[in-house]
Amino acid sequence: MSAATLLNGPAHAMAAALRRRELSASALVEASLARIDATDGRVNAFTHRSADRALARAAALDALLAAGDAATQALPLLGVPFAVKNLFDIEGIATLAGSKIERDAAPAVRDGLLVRRMEEAGAVLVGALNMDEYAYGFTTENSHEGPTRNPHDLSRISGGSSGGSAAAVAAGQVPLTLGSDTNGSIRVPSSLCGVFGLKPTFGRLPRSGSYPFVASLDHLGPFGRDACDLALAYDALQGFDAGDPGCVARPHEAAASTLDDAARMTRKLRIGILGGWFHDLALPEARSAVAAVAAALGATQRVEWPEVARGRAAAFLITNAEGAALHLPDLKTRAQDFEPLSRDRFLAGALLPAPWVQQAQRVRHWFARQAARSFEDFDLLLAPATPCVAPAIGTEWLDLNGQRLPARPSLGLLAQPVSCIGLPVCTVPVWNGSLPVGVQLVAAPWREDRVLAAAQVLQAAGVARSPVAALA
Amino acid sequence: MDDTTIAAHVDAAAALLGLPLAPEHRPGVLMYFALAAAMAEQVNGLTLTVHDESGSHFVPVSPGGAA
Repeated sequence: MSAATLLNGPAHAMAAALRRRELSASALVEASLARIDATDGRVNAFTHRSADRALARAAALDALLAAGDAATQALPLLGVPFAVKNLFDIEGIATLAGSKIERDAAPAVRDGLLVRRMEEAGAVLVGALNMDEYAYGFTTENSHEGPTRNPHDLSRISGGSSGGSAAAVAAGQVPLTLGSDTNGSIRVPSSLCGVFGLKPTFGRLPRSGSYPFVASLDHLGPFGRDACDLALAYDALQGFDAGDPGCVARPHEAAASTLDDAARMTRKLRIGILGGWFHDLALPEARSAVAAVAAALGATQRVEWPEVARGRAAAFLITNAEGAALHLPDLKTRAQDFEPLSRDRFLAGALLPAPWVQQAQRVRHWFARQAARSFEDFDLLLAPATPCVAPAIGTEWLDLNGQRLPARPSLGLLAQPVSCIGLPVCTVPVWNGSLPVGVQLVAAPWREDRVLAAAQVLQAAGVARSPVAALA
Repeated sequence: MDDTTIAAHVDAAAALLGLPLAPEHRPGVLMYFALAAAMAEQVNGLTLTVHDESGSHFVPVSPGGAA
């Protein structure tokens, strides 16, 4: 099989082919770089390409393989090209976090921790990816870099804020990427670009060496076209790090090795369908995606969390205030250099009265306790990841079942209440004609194994799938 | 919270912080502050007791635990 053909498949098949010495890591990385060259003029997923670094790293892996190095042979992501949202530190380049302002920043002195962990697992970094400025957005219509276009329909948005991370996977440029999710920034672009995305439990993965947005809510996680790839990446990324005060000291809980038993594990799960807010604000295509997943998993019971609107409002206020406070020095001195689509929101956030934000934090905890009760009766809950398929670039308003809402903040309506309380979610892509919409598989804290097992089952059944965009 | 109250708060709080609001940015700031005020109504509308804790959580740093 050629490297270009292999690049369209899952990452675990690439690593297996390298182990069998059917091709070299260099050939695979060259195929990835060629695909980026051929398609990124239209998609605009990449803001930086690390070609020299990637080719040197691949050559080093090839040399180790040629020498019969057993440790290299065993690497789970051996030779797999990957890329990261440009808020991850990459040694030698400035960490942009989607901004113009950070172009003046000093180059990072070392890679972010999760970038290092991916490479320790054998993966090869090929570049950095576009995003909404400072992660404050759901569309990746970045005014400084241009919009990242949806590979399945270039007239539509990729979603955000990790739009480049989802689009690069959907375009077949790389099989794995990393992104961040504060209010939906992994799940929204996964949904709109038709890829799998994992937002682990809040505190599971360390954020050391990444540009923060809202420390109270920021999560990091992987994107891929295959549930097993997501689990392999997640396993490589796990591990406590004291450099992130929000990281919880949990044992390494491997997920990939449990997927062989995914069907049996999933059959035992008590699965519910989130109703209320998650139904009322979803358009028919999102409801039918949930129905397809529910039917495949044998889920019939509806579950309602109380006061979801207040939980979502809490996430909005915490985000607005913390994000603005982080950027206050630049807002004071160079507001004109901020992204016009989010600048005024940042400015307003700097002015919120403290009791609003403190009450939001208390409501967040209250809401988490209410949602936790639902997991006494259920192991897995289903909800749409976005209210609709990808809107056209430039869309200002969404009509959601009679409610006219501003499009940019509203694309995260169904994701925000879940990240607000830190639950693990795997978003799986379900197709409705030519466009995908994602379904959130939500579990109790620290049960990433369950969401990944269910994702694997849905993939095996053909209900969830992530084809490479034709980009003819 | 009405538009006049919002405008008065925005201007006073911006002055207090030393945060200049350019004339072309001010309408957007007022719009987004009004949106935040609507969100604040939502969270303030939930009755909590003094024992309902915050979602923010501080972990003390032990010697040798600082990165």
